[in-house]
Amino acid sequence: MLKDKIKQKIAKWQKEKEYKKKIAELKKRDPFIYKNF
Amino acid sequence: MIKLGISAFYHDSAACITMGNVVIAAAEEERFTGIKHDSSFPKNAIKWLLRSTVTDIKQIQEVHWYENPETKDDRVKTIFNKRPIKTFFLRQRYNKDRKNNSPEALLQSLGYTGKIIYHDHHYSHAAFSYFTSPYRDAAILTVDGVGEWETTTISRGKGGKIEKLISIDFPNSLGMLYSTVTSFLGFKPNEGEYKVMGLAPYGDSSVYLKKLEKVLCHTSNKFYLYQKYFTWEYSEKLMFNKKLCQLLELPPRLPEEPLTQEHKNLAAALQKLYEKEFLKLVKTAKNITGSQNLCLGGGCAYNGVANSLAYKFFDSVHIPFAPSDAGSAIGACLTHHTGVGPYLGPEFQDHQIRRILKNYDDKLVYFNLEEGKLIKRTAELLVSQKIVAWFQGKMEFGARALGNRSILASPMKPEMREKLNHIIKKREEFRPFAPSVIEDQASIFFDIKEPVPFMNQVVKTKVNFIPAATHIDGTCRVQTVSEKQNKKYYRLLEEVGRLTKIPILLNTSFNLKDETITMNIDQAIKRYLSSDIDFLIVNNFLIRKKYA
Repeated sequence: MLKDKIKQKIAKWQKEKEYKKKIAELKKRDPFIYKNF
Repeated sequence: MIKLGISAFYHDSAACITMGNVVIAAAEEERFTGIKHDSSFPKNAIKWLLRSTVTDIKQIQEVHWYENPETKDDRVKTIFNKRPIKTFFLRQRYNKDRKNNSPEALLQSLGYTGKIIYHDHHYSHAAFSYFTSPYRDAAILTVDGVGEWETTTISRGKGGKIEKLISIDFPNSLGMLYSTVTSFLGFKPNEGEYKVMGLAPYGDSSVYLKKLEKVLCHTSNKFYLYQKYFTWEYSEKLMFNKKLCQLLELPPRLPEEPLTQEHKNLAAALQKLYEKEFLKLVKTAKNITGSQNLCLGGGCAYNGVANSLAYKFFDSVHIPFAPSDAGSAIGACLTHHTGVGPYLGPEFQDHQIRRILKNYDDKLVYFNLEEGKLIKRTAELLVSQKIVAWFQGKMEFGARALGNRSILASPMKPEMREKLNHIIKKREEFRPFAPSVIEDQASIFFDIKEPVPFMNQVVKTKVNFIPAATHIDGTCRVQTVSEKQNKKYYRLLEEVGRLTKIPILLNTSFNLKDETITMNIDQAIKRYLSSDIDFLIVNNFLIRKKYA
């Protein structure tokens, strides 16, 4: 049980890390927006 | 009264000249600059308009600007004031742009010092759709990213007057939502939406629909978007934040990464969500106007799959040839109904074509044929699976090539789609191609309710012998062609029908990867020479490469 919980936590942490990494990468590039102002 | 209509500074800048209520000429700036969806002041388009209509700028009596800069300014500043620190630099840049983009100053630089009349952004969309429709009585639904404050409006058109009944304001925007998920999927907003639409039938909408639905809520006839997932109000880099990733349990796709089934499922969910919300708006439009007719406008009216659903509530649906901001340059000028068509751009005479062809004597062979012979020969080439670039008369206004700046091919073999996608246009393999069909025979082949002259509805294909122009779900974005609309293209389709019993051609815009649609002969020849297109036809000149 504890092992599963730890595994889940790690998976969640890895996902969060990936979200952050991808967003940071996209921010470095040319604007990726629909211009509204 | 000579009027100049202008739209600029969001995307698809454009200009038109009207005399009385007749649209004489119109063009988008991108065709002159080569920058797709160019948002800059359309000075090249204006200069061409004045030249081609032999009009001096001083003869222009009124300029009609497609939106109200003061109201837009109010919205932008109100939004910035919510986060004064976060938007500090953005505000500086916005103020600088606003100063540089003053319509008065820009028009003065062209020598115009007369009256400028500003219209509401969504009024211009509504007017373009309603006044180019055949209806006197209609509901008008406009949906886009954002105008000044408005992102969605429902109006009633009656007896030549437009009365706004409902509006939804920024940041609640279906257009912005669609663009956000488009960018989440690694496609460029305001361009990649077509790719998302094309990708959607490959996915299962149920995987992400429930999650995606959590970004919005409703009151009786309006929708609201929870801004915690989006960064439109303060970012000029990205449209979403980590919370959207957490909601979807999916990281965003970088443009260079491969498309997975998850991405296809998300595209399907977005399209489904858009269709659901669009249908709610259509239903509301029906309920509050009671009309049998619907006019659609705004950039979202390019969503052909959703558009076709409007027949659930309306007997007749009109979608103009350029429903996005480009068409608003025309809409701003119109005061009553007019029978304008999409062929409003530059055209070229035979002596100009000959002169340019002389520069390519070492590379090209050409034959100037009589029209009947040209059509017969072209039809034979197409039937024998050749790819033909078809450049005729006046350039189309709007995003679609409607038979004057088209690449044509036979839709009857599936390999043709692959060849066009991979070799000619170098675009994603999942993207579909559209067919053109003779209007009076369209219902034999397609499940259409009424003619679709501007290729802005997706319909079911009834037959299985046009695989290159049929999408994976058995649909296509058909263009019906009548003799009145485009005589030469109609005659070509008729000749193809005479040879094969199937008067249908695959029609895709005459441009190569990341290019704007071809405008002039020089561009046409260069693009022809740099691609694997088999033949180029410019007016009645049949042109082929010397080594072919």
